[in-house]
Amino acid sequence: MTYSVAMTHNVFSFFPFKPLAHAGFTTLFLLCLGANSYAQDDLPLLDLDTPVRLNFSGSWEKDFARSDNWEDELNRVMRMRQEQAAAQAAGIRPLSRPRVSIGNINLGSSRGRSGIVNLARVAEYISRQTTMEIIQDRNQVRIERKGEAPLICGMETGPTQTFSSPHGSEFCGWNRLQLIFEITLPEELYITHQFSVAANGSSLQIVTSIQSDNGIPFNLRQTYSKYDAPPDEYNCIQTISRGRVCSQRTPLD
Amino acid sequence: MNYSDLIIRLLKSCVFGFQALALATCIQDAPSPIEPTIPPVGTVSLDYSTEILTEPFLLDIGIRVFENKLEEESTPGYGGLEFATIRENEIQYLPYVLRNTLISANQWGAVRVLPQDDPSMDLLLSGAVLRSDGQELQIHIKVQDSAGREWLNKKYADVTIDEDFPESTRYTPGNRFDPNSFTDPFQDLYNKINNDLVAARTRLSEQELLNIGLVSQMVYAADLSPSSFEHTLYTNAGGQISLVSLPAKDDPMMARVQDMRVRHYLFIDTVDEYYQALYEDMQPSYVIWRRYSYDQITQNEAALQEAYDISRYSSSTGYLTLIQRYDRFRWSKIYEVEFRELASGFNREIAPAILELNKQVHGLSGTMEEQYIQWRRILRQLFTLESNSL
Repeated sequence: MTYSVAMTHNVFSFFPFKPLAHAGFTTLFLLCLGANSYAQDDLPLLDLDTPVRLNFSGSWEKDFARSDNWEDELNRVMRMRQEQAAAQAAGIRPLSRPRVSIGNINLGSSRGRSGIVNLARVAEYISRQTTMEIIQDRNQVRIERKGEAPLICGMETGPTQTFSSPHGSEFCGWNRLQLIFEITLPEELYITHQFSVAANGSSLQIVTSIQSDNGIPFNLRQTYSKYDAPPDEYNCIQTISRGRVCSQRTPLD
Repeated sequence: MNYSDLIIRLLKSCVFGFQALALATCIQDAPSPIEPTIPPVGTVSLDYSTEILTEPFLLDIGIRVFENKLEEESTPGYGGLEFATIRENEIQYLPYVLRNTLISANQWGAVRVLPQDDPSMDLLLSGAVLRSDGQELQIHIKVQDSAGREWLNKKYADVTIDEDFPESTRYTPGNRFDPNSFTDPFQDLYNKINNDLVAARTRLSEQELLNIGLVSQMVYAADLSPSSFEHTLYTNAGGQISLVSLPAKDDPMMARVQDMRVRHYLFIDTVDEYYQALYEDMQPSYVIWRRYSYDQITQNEAALQEAYDISRYSSSTGYLTLIQRYDRFRWSKIYEVEFRELASGFNREIAPAILELNKQVHGLSGTMEEQYIQWRRILRQLFTLESNSL
């Protein structure tokens, strides 16, 4: 995987305002006006204020065959760095890449930065869940993973701060069809999750990127497949005076 | 990395930098209590009257449902809707705690909670909640008499300590909430408001107090029928109202005004009962909610001190250090999400009581405030009809 850090951090761009799309929306709007006489039916109206988002909802399980193995990915990165160092020694140096010194291919920690090995291990730790549940409606998307607080994001395009504490902060936003969460931890440790779903809704990809102190990021790609989770037998709500109260689901729930 | 990325990164670094700097200074000393912007009232005993007071001292007080002036920035990030709903509900709850305090002081006439300003009251008390959580309550209180004289215009604050939330406030199925044995954690604040009102009353002569009663009677009459009674009052440039003349004691119009006023009292007593029902329904959940809020704030303060203790945040960039950094973030977020769920649970639990408050009174419709406006309009129409039929 060769995602660049510039890409992972340039994530909260607005939808491009394309003339074609604009014309399409205008036509749609005029059609709606023309069809005013049919406005009494039960068809849902297109809410132009709410951006259209792909549907991420469902139960997802990790597809190990199509996901990066963190050790393999680490080896690949190390090999690339070695090749780059060797090419540099031979006098071939791509303009856009940082200089790599022979004997030190920046795999370990350097000037306070975390080494790529440590970042790779952290990426593996925070991507350890094999299943997740995503609930999505018109207002928000909520990603539930075992052992983690849910990742929740609204449908607005711009970056929104979803959490902040002395231990770190979290922003979310949409980059076209991708859902992005960026976590900033103390001492300049950045974690980014990019969610994208296949057009047919059958698979989901998460790219987790970890970067320390503007060093080399480590990216881990995980692919998930949709599966039919058995429905919850109980319907639970949190109350203040009786704690968590559960009732058995009825067919109407 | 382009410029916008760089700016975002720099801004984030600055936020952390400032937090770290501010907190690094804090951790030099022992944990310091919060510094309220308004001095807390401290421990205040209620100025209770052991005597039965006579008429001019027994002024009727109307307490308007408080305004919500809580700062926007106090809304905790995404999902702040739950907390905003709690605030909307507590501005209807807190006036009732004050109402109960004023009644228990035995210093006043009828004390009622009202959805709007009421022209029949001798004293009108309005309040704005500036801050409210388990640790601190700040309220701005204004009190005016019917003659437009300002009695109070003051900000009050009270802070809680562990002792305000004894173990008995951890309610479980085996330890049910008992309202009779419960003292509000901010009771000192309400006591202080009562005592300040008593002090303000002491500064007035008996004649001035009598005058307040007469003015409120004529203000109510003028509200019912401006054409008949407005000439009896004079309002100066400062908004102060004085009596120009009084109708004769056997004036038939005044007799009808009194009749209307009695009906009006019956209505506002009913309104007050609705607020009482809300208070009683909401109290057990609200007490527990406040306790959770207090615990959460206390834990957050402890976390703040821990988070930027540099010795705890090792400069090591090893795997375990990075995991520790991530886990601290992870747990702090899990706690906040749980707290937000509790807020939702609280709102869910008191929703029926809020619905009950706004249900129809005497065939009126809309919210309690709308019903109140309708009622006053009906009384005016009734008064006009009766006057014309004579």
